[in-house]
Amino acid sequence: MLEAKNYDFDAIVVGSGITGGWAAKELTEKGLKVLVLERGKELQHGTGYLGEHAPDWKLPYQGKRPRELYEKEYPIQSKSYAFSEATRHFFTNDKQNPYVQDDKPFDWMRADVVGGRSLLWGRQTYRWSEQDFQANAQDGHGIPWPIGYKDIAPWYSYVEKFIGVSGEAMGLDELPDSEFLPPMGMHKLEETIRGRLKRKAPDIKLTMGRAAILTEDHKGRAACHYCGPCHRGCSTGSYFSSQSSTLPAARTTGNLVLRANSVVEKLVYDPASGKISEVRVIDSRTGERLVFRSRIVFLCASTVASTQLLMNSQSETFANGLGNQGGALGHYMMDHALGMAGMGIFLDDMDSYWYGNRPNGMYIPRFRNLKAQDNNNDFLRGYGYQVHALRMNWQSSFNKKGFGADLKDSLRKPGPWIWALAAFTECLPDKRNRMYLHPGKKDRFGIPQVAFDAAWRDNEHKLWNDAVQQGDRILKAAGSVFSIKQEKLESVMGAGIHEMGTARMGNDPAESVLNAHNQVHGVPNLFVTDGSCMTSSSCVNPSLTYMALTARACDYAVKQLSQGVI
Amino acid sequence: MNRREFLECAAILVAGISASQAGFTLSTEQKTYLATAPDYIDKAATYLNEKQKATLAMLCETILPRTDTPGAIDAGVPRFVELMVFEWLNEAERTIFLDGMNELMDKVQLRYQKPFEALPENKRVNVLEKLERQASDSGWYDIGSAALRDFISDAPFVCQLKELTIWGFFTSEVGSTQVLRYEAMPMKFDGHRKLGEDESAWAAPLV
Repeated sequence: MLEAKNYDFDAIVVGSGITGGWAAKELTEKGLKVLVLERGKELQHGTGYLGEHAPDWKLPYQGKRPRELYEKEYPIQSKSYAFSEATRHFFTNDKQNPYVQDDKPFDWMRADVVGGRSLLWGRQTYRWSEQDFQANAQDGHGIPWPIGYKDIAPWYSYVEKFIGVSGEAMGLDELPDSEFLPPMGMHKLEETIRGRLKRKAPDIKLTMGRAAILTEDHKGRAACHYCGPCHRGCSTGSYFSSQSSTLPAARTTGNLVLRANSVVEKLVYDPASGKISEVRVIDSRTGERLVFRSRIVFLCASTVASTQLLMNSQSETFANGLGNQGGALGHYMMDHALGMAGMGIFLDDMDSYWYGNRPNGMYIPRFRNLKAQDNNNDFLRGYGYQVHALRMNWQSSFNKKGFGADLKDSLRKPGPWIWALAAFTECLPDKRNRMYLHPGKKDRFGIPQVAFDAAWRDNEHKLWNDAVQQGDRILKAAGSVFSIKQEKLESVMGAGIHEMGTARMGNDPAESVLNAHNQVHGVPNLFVTDGSCMTSSSCVNPSLTYMALTARACDYAVKQLSQGVI
Repeated sequence: MNRREFLECAAILVAGISASQAGFTLSTEQKTYLATAPDYIDKAATYLNEKQKATLAMLCETILPRTDTPGAIDAGVPRFVELMVFEWLNEAERTIFLDGMNELMDKVQLRYQKPFEALPENKRVNVLEKLERQASDSGWYDIGSAALRDFISDAPFVCQLKELTIWGFFTSEVGSTQVLRYEAMPMKFDGHRKLGEDESAWAAPLV
């Protein structure tokens, strides 16, 4: 082991989002001095949430989107469900931060502030099942996971108890229960539909969305006040973000230094020690170049950014990118094919309305290929639906004909119920789906731009088609009087904002980048714990799994450090 | 934390911004805490002449008149529409709007020997209904959401006018709180709230 004076910090964490925050918390609480490097701007919890609780009449143009600005400066980010004038300051400016998508479109959604996308995420929180971890080994797509459900289950519990997950225990193998706070309440219509599905489509389970939103006070954070648009930021910390939870916990230890505006350019590999010896940084405001050294490095910069950094850290030993011994780095990009598979109009419970803006829908867990391959289909794996109940209002009827008191009165009142099924389908790991560093184009820091070459393949389209057909059956069973299907999968890769893979875990260094503890094969002091580590994609929202893997890897790394192995 | 405490906290947070870290952590565009910003329609609207302003106000009021609840003029919608026409529509769209409004003004004057705003309500509605019949093959009438759908760039004047009036009205403070219902800090969710015969929808916050 080198002398302590050779290090600026015990650990450097790249990224302050959902996994970077967890790495910061775990490592500082274990006594390590930690530097977190965040590419984005400084942002204070609470005071930085400039759009929070702003009523429509305070927004520029009363909420009509400034089209010209978005087309010029935010053509990708403005596609996000969470993008508006109330949240734009959280997002990356596309014009200033270009990437290459020559042949196949790829939506790369990026935050540009401390806290990263943990401020903007959908907060849906689901455990993977044993079946998810076994899928690659069973059907031969991708490589087997080096870990199983039993390895991660205690870490799921550990993370859930800290972040606070509201939801309903169901006892399903395909969607294991979390450590739950009470679930949010249901609309009367949702109860009506749940009752009908039980009788008419008993294979379909409908449960309240499992969300990292508090239904009761929890660890110094207040229960949700149901104002509605979480992604504007929440000064009461009622949903989990690194800003509300993990970074404050890390600060409490006195062991945290967080540096914003810090673009990590390169990790320097030292062949003599076989470890990362330096982290090279460019200050995005001044252009100043800085070097930091630490015993261990955690990459938590997001799937694409972490892999970009590994690729840009090539050396004599790792000519094709750090940890890239067998060519897996950058390949096997996955995302969830996402879209509104179907929606129905309901005339039930018209005399029932709501109070409070519930920032959560309900969930229909995967029901296809549950035990083995169902014998009536031609696709592998499955999908789930996030389902939302709402009533038509002036926004959906704004272009009806007529003038005067009658028009005003009809726009003023709630219309029929709509119940909409958003399908999230699993994506197979496919070597053809990849990102790479563009050989010619560089960004404003001189770093090679990321280029994408990834698209939905046959199985994703088949899954989508099935999700549309089954969605229609579910809508009918639920009692829809009129249903609409979206026959074609219209979203592109990246648009699910669940991009993952590209530095996958596996036992064989020739086929993977990371081992069973998210440690880079051949570089023992380097860990990658964001979505890039994923060996397969499941169909459930991935953030909880990233958090659990991060906490687990931190535990392992610190034990290795204290044993003198690293 | 009850609502009053919550709003007090929010006020303290806002006060903290100007006093402390905002100067070096936030860019100029980021310094505006939107909840305490002036209303959009409080901006001065000085693009139209007085005759045009008078006609536009009555056009908005004819679409959404005062009844037992406030109407478009009460909600400041004419100012919203004027601002949007000059600050939000692109040049081609603005030309459609201004040409459409000027043509309407001229035709009404010619036919009735008085301006649109001096006509009785049934006549004003007739004028607009005629425009809407002429516009009825526009894609503007296709199903869609005002919040999610792209603005229909070639929509005729009457469609532009309706969209901006209806948007401006139901997102205004008066429209949200006195015509719809608005609750900034509900503190709970109840999915079994009884809906009375004549009760309004909630003004749900936008993204």
